[in-house]
Amino acid sequence: MDSYLLADADRVVARARAGDSDALEELYRAFEAPVYNLARRICRTTEDAEDVLQETFFEVCRSIGRYREEGSLWGWVRTIAASKALMRLRRNKYRETEELHDEVTGRQREDTALRMDLEAALERLSETSRAVVWLHDVEGYTHEEIAAMMGKTPSFSKSQLARAHVRLRRWLGEEVAV
Amino acid sequence: MTHLSMDALVSLREAGQEPGDAAAREHLEGCENCRAELERLHQRVARLKALPALRSGRDRWPEVRARVMAERRHRRNRMAGLVGLAAAASIALAVAIGPVPGPVASSNADEIQQAMDRSQALESALHGYDPESRVLDGRTARIAQELEDRIAQVDRELEMADLMEQQAREPQVLRLWRERVGLLDALMDVHVTRASNAGL
Repeated sequence: MDSYLLADADRVVARARAGDSDALEELYRAFEAPVYNLARRICRTTEDAEDVLQETFFEVCRSIGRYREEGSLWGWVRTIAASKALMRLRRNKYRETEELHDEVTGRQREDTALRMDLEAALERLSETSRAVVWLHDVEGYTHEEIAAMMGKTPSFSKSQLARAHVRLRRWLGEEVAV
Repeated sequence: MTHLSMDALVSLREAGQEPGDAAAREHLEGCENCRAELERLHQRVARLKALPALRSGRDRWPEVRARVMAERRHRRNRMAGLVGLAAAASIALAVAIGPVPGPVASSNADEIQQAMDRSQALESALHGYDPESRVLDGRTARIAQELEDRIAQVDRELEMADLMEQQAREPQVLRLWRERVGLLDALMDVHVTRASNAGL
């Protein structure tokens, strides 16, 4: 992934560590798109996602000297981005989206008749559930890693994921009568 | 017939073995419904992975860069302050213990102190001018960036100079502080001249 996003990553990192502004910008340009995508999938608004993008790269620029090259560069940047996005969720204390919808529309609504598309269904999940779904199913983090980033237990992450899939299945009209 | 819960299906997707996975797999063998449910789960995850990437409409690099530069400047100020404190402490110690035999006190020390004072004064003036909040045209921004990069380079060389033997260190440190003052002067000129031209 590193070589795909950034040719000659080792040399760019070495220059960035020496304080070269051009190298820091190269890092930003290489990872801007995936970091924003991750942030936007977790955060509720584009403004929050852009703030997470900025916070992430400020942290990358400050901490590049501490990057130990034990894992991939993208893995390191991605973990910073995920942490910043989760921090933003905690700070904003968003109300759980599903609960908000239920209050507005009433609990009698037939969810099975909604048949949303996947984007809309994902957007409708609560912040926490959506973050777990994205980090686990798309980014490939383990429940243990997600738990560590969220300050929760792996069981919490597992139950959030299962609960989210029950809801997605219903909203996507994929439930099969048994 | 009791079918597998979503918890069990999600757990079956994991690489590791959870308690109950063996029984769940056994159930799966004989249950077409649960096999179809697991397949739908796999497909849903595949569709999640295939969602188009969302892109930012704004370039945030200028903000990131401005913050990085502001922090560097802050660090430099702090370092200059610490160097000043260390120099003051050395003078106090020298006064307390009186003249000591050995190398003659460097004649560069005063000049270094003067350059450091001048550097701090320029940094303060620059900080008061608040260049981060002002908009620069492309050419001016490039010149300012080059000057800031060269100042950062001088700071790194100053850190390296700390590791040198005293006799070699002082002329080197003096040269670097003078260079730093010259660069800060130039940076101040860039901002002030641009502000006068723009009528700010």
